[in-house]
Amino acid sequence: MSRRTVRIAMIVLAVIGLGIASYLTYVHYAGIKPACTAGESCTKVQTSIYSKLAGVPVALMGLIGYIVILASLLVRETETSRFATLVFTLAGFGFSAYLTYRELFSIHAVCEWCATSAGIMTILMLMSIWRFLRGDGSLETSRIETGEGPRTAQVSAN
Amino acid sequence: MSPVEPESDLTRKQRREQARDERKAIEEASAAQSAQRKRLIQLGGVAAVVVVIIVIILVATGSGKKAAPTPSSPAAKTAQTEVVSLLQSIPQHTITLGNPNAPITLQYFGDLECPFCKQFTISALPTVIKKYVRTGKVKIEYHSMQTATRERETFQTQQVAALAAGKQNLMWDYLELFYHEQGEEDSGYVTENYLQGLASQIPGLNLSAWSSARNDPSYPNQVIADAQAANQNGFTGTPSFMIGKTGETLKKLEVSGFTDASQFETAIEKLLKE
Repeated sequence: MSRRTVRIAMIVLAVIGLGIASYLTYVHYAGIKPACTAGESCTKVQTSIYSKLAGVPVALMGLIGYIVILASLLVRETETSRFATLVFTLAGFGFSAYLTYRELFSIHAVCEWCATSAGIMTILMLMSIWRFLRGDGSLETSRIETGEGPRTAQVSAN
Repeated sequence: MSPVEPESDLTRKQRREQARDERKAIEEASAAQSAQRKRLIQLGGVAAVVVVIIVIILVATGSGKKAAPTPSSPAAKTAQTEVVSLLQSIPQHTITLGNPNAPITLQYFGDLECPFCKQFTISALPTVIKKYVRTGKVKIEYHSMQTATRERETFQTQQVAALAAGKQNLMWDYLELFYHEQGEEDSGYVTENYLQGLASQIPGLNLSAWSSARNDPSYPNQVIADAQAANQNGFTGTPSFMIGKTGETLKKLEVSGFTDASQFETAIEKLLKE
């Protein structure tokens, strides 16, 4: 898989996640029931005390999370941007894991929207780890980024 | 000698280049290795920070169960005042609130533990009651449908407790108080104490008569009949509604939100004009 393909796949996933989080945020503030095939489980999750953290709806946190992930993917790709994506997706994954734990062991209901978002976040995290560890794939660029550019230039001048 | 010299020069040059290439390759490999090591350390660092934050959130949110207020608590007192003023002087008869001859009937299917029913009961329903029930235009029947309550037995017990208050024509006081003081879902707050606490907050309710009415064998059947009606109406969740002219076939009333009374008002106004 090329770097470009991974980046595009991640952008697509982040956009889908953004859509889900936007819908859940809308549902939260409009006070309506989320569309759900599993009966009342989405409603149960969305109205539970765990749907807010320090007074902030977790759906809104997810929305903000996907926005920053998307932003880090859309800026010019550098070591720093890849690191930023890694930090955001790892945080998103950790938070999704916490929410899934709450769904399973505290609320006893799984919301399919949340589960889908958790799945997307997991894939995004795995892809961002792969992307970060792989780096640029060429030493030259990484040297320039780490401030060793002039030395490379000297070598090629010889 | 002269033809050899350039050749040996070339060889020396080639060797030099070769050595330089090798050095470059080693340098590149070691730089790549150290970059990779740095990335792994960064990855580990970020992962560790995330784990610490999640553990802090888990501990801070704890078991998170929100208990229902006790009858003497300020929250319960506020709920009692609100409910009494909302229902004051509106006729009640068993499950029905409002003028028995009201031209329009609204059926409300709910689960006493359902948070959306609470939302509806607290935000949209008071407007409907003040505008149409108090003025004798609409009567509301409360029917049960199990959704949020997990245990079938608990569902029946709490519903029968409400129906028993209906024997003294105070069921709506019981329902309203239940919704106002609703606890956290699945926290097991619906105990005998909770049910009796609600009854004790209803002004004018004879507690011993209420207690014996809870054993009335007709109430569990009423809960079953409600479940069958909900099924026939094709309801998938609560709150759900049926509306129509009293004595005629009622139709399902679909609403998109439960906090706003406007959709109920539109449906009622339309029926009043017919």
